[in-house]
Amino acid sequence: MSDIPVSKAFADTERETEADRFGMWIFLATEAMLFGAILLGYFILRLKYHDAFAAGSSQLSLPLATANTAILLTSSFAMAIGAETARSGALRCAHRALWATALLGAAFLAVKAYEYHDDWDKGLLPALGVFHYTGPNAGEMALFLNFYLASTALHATHLLIGILMVAFLALPSRLPTPRRARRIESVGLYWHFVDIVWVFLFPLLYLVQR
Amino acid sequence: MSRPLRLALTYFALLALLALTVGSSFLPLGFGNTAANLVIAALKAALIATVFMELRSGGPLPRLVLGAALFWLLLLFVLSWIALRGV
Repeated sequence: MSDIPVSKAFADTERETEADRFGMWIFLATEAMLFGAILLGYFILRLKYHDAFAAGSSQLSLPLATANTAILLTSSFAMAIGAETARSGALRCAHRALWATALLGAAFLAVKAYEYHDDWDKGLLPALGVFHYTGPNAGEMALFLNFYLASTALHATHLLIGILMVAFLALPSRLPTPRRARRIESVGLYWHFVDIVWVFLFPLLYLVQR
Repeated sequence: MSRPLRLALTYFALLALLALTVGSSFLPLGFGNTAANLVIAALKAALIATVFMELRSGGPLPRLVLGAALFWLLLLFVLSWIALRGV
């Protein structure tokens, strides 16, 4: 099961694995800045327009979002099992876990698409020109709903990229097992990060004030 | 504790925290609701990072990156808060 480094820059695979991990974490730190800036804008407006944000939040579907949170947490568990089994050399098991991860990710997107469709029907997507609410603070509520659409769509895009990467890793390959295990670990870090982003988006968007 | 068992326990803890955050949102706690939501989200993120992302066993570099990222985010939020006080 011995493996040689992919790059000449590394004396052995251990150093290379550590560099892989370091690189992925640095990428995730830049992603944290992206989502962090969006959340900062959200917090500033929420402090100013709390009632409108609470009213907007109560229009969104809590059951769908709760189900989606559970789906995403389960996918992260499957991903962690995938990385663990790949490292121990049980590739068949790892492949199954990766497919489960990708399918759960797809299930999340399917629920989200259904929810967007529902939002469209209820007129909750002002950024797309569909906004039927005429009560008090309609403008501020539209701001909240724009934040909702922008942040969930950006998150869904990240998840879609994750699903494609996980599905690619689950395909048969001639690469040696240890090298595949390293790839699975790196993609796993990305997957868990996307999960963490949702863990924060969920209460901020759906649980403002029930 | 074996690693698969640790993964499973973490997963169940995450689901329990999800139930807690949704359940607590139906109690009228005022600002306490927001505080509870954010504390629970931070706990879930910490569980995912330490166990699923192997922050404890992955060597010092990932922890260094995480610390730097959290530091910059803290700076971003605290400076913005100071800049916007009273606005």
